[in-house]
Amino acid sequence: MELRYFIIRRLLVLIPTLIGLSIFVFLLMWAYGPCNLVSVYYTVRSHNCAVIAPQEGIYLNDPVLTYLTYVEHLITGNWGIVGGSGFFLPQGQVLYYISIFFPNTLQLALAATVLSLLIAIPLGTYIGSKPNSAADHFGRIFSLSGYAMPTFWLGYLLIFFFGQGVSSFPTNVLGFVGNGLVNYHHSLPDWVSKTTLLSSPTHILLIDSLLNGDPAMFVRAVDYLILPVLTITYGILAGILRFIRAGMVDSANQEYVKTARAKGVPEKVIIKKHIRRNALLPTITVIGLLISSLLGGVVVVEEVFTYYGIGYLLIQAINPRSFEVWLVMGGTMVFALILVMTNLIVDVLYAYLDPRIRY
Amino acid sequence: MAEININPAEMVAKQEKRANPRVEELKASLRLLYKNRLALVGLIIVAIYYFIMVLDFAYPPWLGVPNLNSIYVFTRTYGIVQTPISPFVLSNGLPYILGGTQYNIALLPAMLGALRFDLGVSTLVVAIGAAVGITVGTVSAYLGGVVDEIIMRVTDIFFSIPFLVLAVAVTALVAHGAGGGLNGLILALIIVWWPIYARLSRSLALSTKSLNFVEAARAAGSSKARNIFVHIMPNVLSPAFVQMSLDIGSVVLIFATLFFLGVIPISALSAPPELGVLINYSVGQAGYASNLFFLGFWWTFLFPGLFLLVFTVAANLLGDGLRDILDPKLRR
Amino acid sequence: MVGLKTRFFTANGIVKAIDNLSLSIKTGETFGLVGESGSGKSVTATSIMDLIPDPPGRIVHGSVYVDGFNILSDLPKLAKIRVKSEKDVIIKRNKRAIKRHGYVLSGIRGSKVAMVFQEPYLSLNPVITIGEQIKEAILLHNRRSIAESLIKRETLNKEDVEKMIDNIMSQPDLLTRQAIIHDWCLDYGIPDLETPVNDLVNNSTDRDFIVREATEMAFAERENLNIDDILTARDYYKNVDDLHELNLRKLELESTGNEAGLAEIDARISDLEASLRSEFFSYRLRLKIMKRRYEKPFEVVAQRKALELLRQVNIAGAERVMDSYPHELSGGMQQRAMIAMALSSTPKILIADEPTTALDVTTQAQILDLIRDVNKRSKTSVLFITHDLAVIAEMCDRVGVMYGGNLVEEAPVREIFKDAKHPYTTGLLNSIPRAERRFEKSARLESIPGTVPNLISPPTGCRFHPRCKFKMDVCGEKKPKLIEIEKDHRVACFLYSDEVEEEPKEEVP
Repeated sequence: MELRYFIIRRLLVLIPTLIGLSIFVFLLMWAYGPCNLVSVYYTVRSHNCAVIAPQEGIYLNDPVLTYLTYVEHLITGNWGIVGGSGFFLPQGQVLYYISIFFPNTLQLALAATVLSLLIAIPLGTYIGSKPNSAADHFGRIFSLSGYAMPTFWLGYLLIFFFGQGVSSFPTNVLGFVGNGLVNYHHSLPDWVSKTTLLSSPTHILLIDSLLNGDPAMFVRAVDYLILPVLTITYGILAGILRFIRAGMVDSANQEYVKTARAKGVPEKVIIKKHIRRNALLPTITVIGLLISSLLGGVVVVEEVFTYYGIGYLLIQAINPRSFEVWLVMGGTMVFALILVMTNLIVDVLYAYLDPRIRY
Repeated sequence: MAEININPAEMVAKQEKRANPRVEELKASLRLLYKNRLALVGLIIVAIYYFIMVLDFAYPPWLGVPNLNSIYVFTRTYGIVQTPISPFVLSNGLPYILGGTQYNIALLPAMLGALRFDLGVSTLVVAIGAAVGITVGTVSAYLGGVVDEIIMRVTDIFFSIPFLVLAVAVTALVAHGAGGGLNGLILALIIVWWPIYARLSRSLALSTKSLNFVEAARAAGSSKARNIFVHIMPNVLSPAFVQMSLDIGSVVLIFATLFFLGVIPISALSAPPELGVLINYSVGQAGYASNLFFLGFWWTFLFPGLFLLVFTVAANLLGDGLRDILDPKLRR
Repeated sequence: MVGLKTRFFTANGIVKAIDNLSLSIKTGETFGLVGESGSGKSVTATSIMDLIPDPPGRIVHGSVYVDGFNILSDLPKLAKIRVKSEKDVIIKRNKRAIKRHGYVLSGIRGSKVAMVFQEPYLSLNPVITIGEQIKEAILLHNRRSIAESLIKRETLNKEDVEKMIDNIMSQPDLLTRQAIIHDWCLDYGIPDLETPVNDLVNNSTDRDFIVREATEMAFAERENLNIDDILTARDYYKNVDDLHELNLRKLELESTGNEAGLAEIDARISDLEASLRSEFFSYRLRLKIMKRRYEKPFEVVAQRKALELLRQVNIAGAERVMDSYPHELSGGMQQRAMIAMALSSTPKILIADEPTTALDVTTQAQILDLIRDVNKRSKTSVLFITHDLAVIAEMCDRVGVMYGGNLVEEAPVREIFKDAKHPYTTGLLNSIPRAERRFEKSARLESIPGTVPNLISPPTGCRFHPRCKFKMDVCGEKKPKLIEIEKDHRVACFLYSDEVEEEPKEEVP
């Protein structure tokens, strides 16, 4: 019961942030030049912007009214128009593109999160229980190098060593199959034509292939996820490891650990039950920051691996040759929403897990 | 013998009293830094990088570093050399000791020039961002109330967008729109970076504000401005400095990433001398056909990347060590 | 405790926290340890269970006999310490020996020696419920007895009940009857039946009726467990306990260097380990896979016992407290829970390290009563550590006074207050504010001049001499020995004896 009110309150606090977010994004695009928002402007450059703009709800002298148009776009659900420049993407609505590209990003981000947690929790427990040991120093350097690694550089390095010329690692294949967009930009890779999916209800290849009963496709889907996921994981692992270690060291010095020892609890159980549980709780609170850096990594990795996700979309939209204002704004909005939602979930999770928090 | 009666405990106490606590503190910090070998290594490497950066402005012609007037531009000539020059061949001349990259750019001077550009701009970004952030955060914490609330909601907005995405979006829109090119980029990165310092210094200032000596100063009639800058600010600065040392690595990294991604347009004939750009040249923008790295010209990819990596690792080591040293809780 | 030395190796030098401390606590007595803060009282307490945090601290010398066994008998093997200078010490730890040391000690900590700490709100794990924490303590040391009582309960038959009832009938005294019923119920693992059976016996005189009813009740308590599993479990835990016991003896023999005995013990240990591996392989496997199912009967018993313990320490609403987290309780309640946890295995000695310092006055009295109660009821020895002399006077049978890591005086509590010998003790006594003293002529409180010595470089000779009123030349040069000057009254001061404490030959930092 209490938890429900906490969630509701937390959602209410979210509203001003979201409004501020939309204003911020709007200001950015206003700074870029309102004429660029007019869809016709792309196709027929000879038109007089000042004449056409008001027809699409864009008032060159009135940012407030134009902002309202933007909000209307956001609420009614097309989020603007893509495809004026026609270089990269066919004409369409921003939200449509996002709905196709987003599942891939979700799959990538989730896989990286899960993998890094799977590695970081046991590893952090281990090195955190032995501060200043050789393992600890190694872990420290390992995590620092992950922190400092240029993601794009690592990505290409991995492709070079594992993904190049080795057919089992299709690093440059498409994030989604069975969509018209594929043919538009790239020709299909060999294996796709051999095993074609009948339908793609979720747009997540991992799931779609299973729904279609196509294990070979599933294997390929896993295959092409491996390198991007590894690249991202290496980057964010550092942060998680650092926090878990710090938490472990901190709670190992607490009095209750002494109590547990005085009770005669074996050292292994002390580490797992008494120290780690207390160390992981504060780690949850920094997940928000980690997700922020994870999403940054996603953008770079998607570009490097030509992985069709929101990040790839965003970078394409920013490319001067295929610049799409609405798409830049839409992509930024999506990333912000993912982060905001994750933070919300993290807060609720923390409140749920830590008995000391009273909502 | 017995009359002299030296009491060691008192002796120690006297000695401790005589020494200046600030000097003692500094000495202890330096001793800890010396003990923390990793941080020391980081400090040395970062110092070397900055030294090279400063040295670059002195324009050593024997290195072939592009002269001051053209530091923002790699000069390259199309079509002259399609095969990059191999590294470690002395007969090509000193500038080509690390080989050349596409368009016949000599790698070593290009990297040094890029360092000057990267490090200079990043330092500028961090310094201005920190200055703005610390001022805003401290003042906001001191004033409290509505001002504080509004400023914090604004930083909330910045924090709700992933850093890199924010940088990409702001750079793309501001740099294109404001037409400033590089200035737009710097402005964009400052916009991205100040909220971090605002948050940090706000929380630090809040905890300092409640300390007794600030209360005492206020009771003694010290003015608001004086209170902020004389009493609160110094306590904010040292953690902020740690954050800056950690951030300089990240800013260089983001800077290179932005250039790599082509957020700042790299035109056909000229581009800023930048490590990300160098790597971009190496792996090619338009697919694998022109990917020098995959074609076997590994040096075009490896050297700029390692050059960048060594700096970011060193900056992180230093920042990490500084945090351990300046945080008395972690001292043993 | 003999010749205990504990050191903390810090960046500023070696802190000689305890230097050559010997004391003994008899069964059933309450021993008070008193001194200023920083005199090494708490370090003494933690040293007894070897709970000194490492790094930075280590016990470097000495032995602690608990119940006849020296828990520090493998001390020299644990780590090699090389002192280059005060600030530069190299400690080489022997990981295997430390692991074994930890294994052996974990069987003693909590079961034979239990501890109550100063700050209950820090000493309880904030994210685990009180009940869970007490249950953990119970399940750590009492699995074998739990298994046995489970078996007894499940195999209980009518004859057993008859025997008990007959026994009661033959006892006319009500209290004796209650005691018998209490013991019997505990013995058979059916504490719930204590009250109903009592009522039954008190309200009826018909033997057959009582027997019938009691048997019925006892049978209703049964939970139709798989008795074979429990039997296996009992054997398994018996072997585990035996193994621990054997390891204890092995350690003891190793320190005395008894080769023949060692070989025999080694053989028995490897036998036992082999049997644990082979015979109980399937049980352990099943335990791993279906933990919940096999643990459940133990959990249930532990739950009951935990409830009983909480009631024993006078916690109202024990059921509710079981499920609450430490922060939801008041300081007094938390400390009671701590005591309940300490009592979970009926320890031989309870170390109370300033258990009342962090509590307010009214709660203090209750906690003190509780500890005294425990001491009286179950003949548990108590080592009571405090800086509050009033509490000492209230609680203890004998008192030790500590100064700068040394025990300077030890005497029965009456002697200390009536006839303190050591100048430090008298100083300490004179510095207590007392109500009646205010109306005497010399109304000023006396304090001891100076401060507690820096234990990195403690004063030479008697550590108290720089602050002592009766300082003599010899005090700065030699260290007085703790000698018995009256019956049970020992003092370390040159005012009373010229004996010098000899430093042990071996080099100890």
